[in-house]
Order: sequence, then structure tokens, then C-alpha cells
Amino acid sequence: MSASLEKGVNVLKEMIDAPIASFFNSCVHCGICAEACLFYTETGDPKYTPIHKLKPLRKVYEQEYTLVGRAAKALGLSKPLTDAELDEWQELVYNSCTMCGRCSLVCPVGNDLAYMIRKLREGMAVAGHAPEGVIGATKRTVEIGSPMGVRLPAVQAQMRHVQEDVGIEIPLDQEGAEYMLLLSSMEIINFPEYLGAVARIMQQAGKSWTLCSTAFEATNSGIQIGVSDLAKVIVSRIVEGAERLNVKTVISPECGHAYMALRWEGPNLIGRPYNFDVKHILEVLEEFRVQGLLKTEGFETERVTFHDPCQIVRRGGVIEPQRNLLKMVAKDFVEMSDPGKYNWCCGGGGGVSANENAEQLRLTAFKRKKAQLDEVQVDTLVTACANCRIVMEEGLEHYQMNIPVVGLTETIAKHLAKPTGGTPQSD
Amino acid sequence: MAIKDDTEFQTALSGLTPQQQRQLAARFVDSVINLCPDPRVKAAVNVARQGDVSDAELAMARQNAKSASVESYTQCGKEADWKSQAGHFVALAALACVASNEHADTLAWDAAMNARMACTCETIAEGKGTRNREAETQYRMLDEFLES
Repeated sequence: MSASLEKGVNVLKEMIDAPIASFFNSCVHCGICAEACLFYTETGDPKYTPIHKLKPLRKVYEQEYTLVGRAAKALGLSKPLTDAELDEWQELVYNSCTMCGRCSLVCPVGNDLAYMIRKLREGMAVAGHAPEGVIGATKRTVEIGSPMGVRLPAVQAQMRHVQEDVGIEIPLDQEGAEYMLLLSSMEIINFPEYLGAVARIMQQAGKSWTLCSTAFEATNSGIQIGVSDLAKVIVSRIVEGAERLNVKTVISPECGHAYMALRWEGPNLIGRPYNFDVKHILEVLEEFRVQGLLKTEGFETERVTFHDPCQIVRRGGVIEPQRNLLKMVAKDFVEMSDPGKYNWCCGGGGGVSANENAEQLRLTAFKRKKAQLDEVQVDTLVTACANCRIVMEEGLEHYQMNIPVVGLTETIAKHLAKPTGGTPQSD
Repeated sequence: MAIKDDTEFQTALSGLTPQQQRQLAARFVDSVINLCPDPRVKAAVNVARQGDVSDAELAMARQNAKSASVESYTQCGKEADWKSQAGHFVALAALACVASNEHADTLAWDAAMNARMACTCETIAEGKGTRNREAETQYRMLDEFLES
């Protein structure tokens, strides 16, 4: 056994906690998780059944923690985990799982398969069986502080550009601001309009906010690759920044897993509760709407639908705010089939879009979203995750579907009531 | 009259017809076209520059510019290549140039902003201090356009 494999197996042993043991014991092999996974439904290949993807973890569990498994191992009836097995499973654990959690939602005995995949990735990464693309992102996070290599001067350049575009100063390191805004690398690089939209909304709401020079990045590749120590470092940077600036609320950007990592995993990773709130931008906008601080005018004239990012809606429980907000500015809003917590993933979450080896499979899996969109025949697709946005744009381009994809925050900002005119309208 | 800032710039742009906006937008993109090697982008700008183009020609140019912009996104988790990203924003600027007539009211402004973003990306890539003078260049172009 190689040194890295031994370390990986040891990590897997450590990862097997009481929930995982009970999940393996309670699985009734019903196969419902397969029907919930778009990698299975769109390929028909049984190897993409979620519970099957966990086979290496199950093997370690049985050999180490069950009487029959230990006896079988001692008698040579059951072979130890090998590098070849982990190599084979890399595709199943990283390429064909976005950790969207749909399988966990439908499991009749309540097994959290996404949680188990997350734990399996911990061991896979240590054993050296994580995809190159995700490893690269992780290295950049360690060395630069950003998985996409974004440094502060680049953020400041984008801030200047946005200031020119919207005519509002973008605050940096303002102590005592109510809100600290985080950005995903994707927004800094591809979607600077998000920052401009937030600036305009905050100005209208009369709220103080700031970016943080030491913690502008929300993306947590430690969660994606499955390295808790790194995930903790990334969360700690944000916590230190928020505490230094003494903000009341940290706003997670239009990014799915960044929200899940910071809000739900973060306090466990650092071992204490935060002394500030963490909210997704959609939750903040919804608060503004309810408080009458979000005034819009006019409506989108076209037919629109909303793609729910899995980590926000299913793993995060944010379901109604995006609908309430969209109805403020769109008269012809239509739901796709399986809306809200049952929504189908774009196919690129959980590090899949950063994984070049997964590209073909991701486009195949996109057929599910294509079918959903074909049913509703919309003119515009709105979402609230920069990664979903690009993955869907690529999918739509691949299948030659001419549907623009836009962010919800920008859509709201586009309809903000002008200070000196227009008829304000809230809901 | 010399345009001095973005407020004057926007005001002047809003007085232009869609066709004038399209032609001016093409000039904005021309100024940064060297940052994008994709021939589809250049072709879209050429369509925008023509005085009278059919809806079908516009739609075809728009489809090609859209494809170029989607293909040039930096994907989640990939290392940012700011030089390539400059090309992405040039493609977006070209896409603005050939927007349909219903979206023509902010066409030149959108092209201008994306052209500036392309320059910003270039300066980040070159580590030149992340400031660029493209806004002033665009003010001059608009002045010349209004005088012509």
C-alpha cells in the first residue's frame, strides 16, 4: 500500500462517524436515489446510482467497523481498498456528483448521501485521487487566497470600473458598516455587473456596506475538493475580516456552495458560532422588500423562469425570497417542473465545472435542464449563482437554445425606481 | 462640445438614433479589437458598422458574437487568464453592437462599458497598475462622431 493510499484510508476511517454508519446500515437498496440523480437519469448507466458511488467508503466501513467485514478481511475473503479502485471511482465521486443533495432529499430512510460523498472526497483527496482542475484551484487558494487566482489589485480594478459604470463609490474596509459583501471569483472575473447592482440597491435602501481587502473571496474550494483544513482556513479569513470591520451581517454572493460552506459548515469548521449573521444576497434583498426598502418600477415584458441553485434552495432552505423578488419585476413568471427544493441541478456544481474530464458528462446531464426549459418555453432564464449561470449558458449554447441567462440581483437592480421619477412599486 | 465625464457621455449617447448608436458602438469595439482573436467578433463589428443591415444579418451576427462570448468565459475554479478575459469582454462589447432594435436604447453605453472592462483586464494581465484611459478615448470618439 502506497503512503498516500494509507493516509487516504486512514482519513476515510476517521470520516466514518455515527451518521455514516447508520446510513450504510439503513440503506434498503431501493434505488430511488438513482432516479433523483441527473447523471443517472440522463445516461441510464447504473454506475451513476448515488449509493453506488460510495462503494469505497462502504468497503472501509465494513472492513473496519462490522464484525462480518472484519472477519472477512482477516480471512482474506475481502481485499483491502486499492489505488486502482480509488482511481476508478474518481469519475464517480468527482465528475458525476455535484453534491446537489437531491438524492439525500428523496431517500426514504433519510440517508444524507451528499454528506457521505463529501466525506469520501476527504479520503480521496488525501490519497491523491482528486481531479487536476480541483487540485489546481485548491493550490491557488492556499497560495493566493483565491481558487481562480484573483488578487486584491484585480478586485480594486473591478471596483473602479463599476464606480464608473454606476456612478457610486464602492466602499472598502469601512469599519462599522452594517453589511460586508463577499464576491465569488466568478463575479469578479466574469460578472462585474453584480457588484454594480448591489451598490445601486444598497444606495436605494440607505444601508452601509463594505468590501473587505483581506476577505473579498467567498469561493471555498476546500469544500469542493473535500479538505476540511483548507475549508477552515478560507472560512477563518472571512470571520477575521468581518470581526476586524465589526460588521453585523456578511452577505454571501450569488454562488451556491459558498453560501453552504460559510453559513452551514463554517461554524463547525472553526469550532465556534459567529458573532455576525451570514445571509445570502437573496435573503438580504427579501428583507429589504419586506421592510419597504426595495422599490422597483416597470416589469420584464418577456416570459421568465427561475433556476434554483441547489445549495441555496435545497441545502440552504432559501425558497420563497427569489420568487417574491422576481414577481416584483416579472409579470410572466413561470415555474419549471420540480421547482424549489426538488429542482434539478445545472450539472456543474460541487467542482464539476472546474473539472475538464467531466465536460462531456456535464453536457449530457444538461439534457435534464434542457427538457425542463423546453416545457416552459421562456424568453429569459434567471438564476442566483454565477457558476450555474455559466454552466447553463454553455449548455444552452451546446444545444443551440437561444435563452439569455441573467442574475436575479442584476434583474432587480435594472428595475430600481429612479430617485426623482417613476411610480415606486413594491409587491 | 468636448465630453468631460460619463454623465455627459451618457446624455449625448441617449440622443443618438439606434443606427447611430450601433455605428458608434462599432468604433468603441474597434478600439479594443486587438484584444480578441476571434474572427466571429470582428465579423459582428463589421455588420454593426454598416448603415443598413437586415434583421436576419443582425440576428446571425448576434448569434456568432454570443457563441464567442460564451466560449470565452473563465469557468469556475479555472485560473484567471486576464488576457483571455479581455477577449471575453470584447466579445460582449461586440454582442452589444448587434443587439436587436428593441434593446437599442443602451447599446452604445453597453459596448463602451464592456470595451473598458476589456482594457481593465488587459491592464491587470500586464500588471500596469490596473488603470486605463479608454473612457477618455471613448469621449473623444463620441465628440468626433457628433462633429462628423
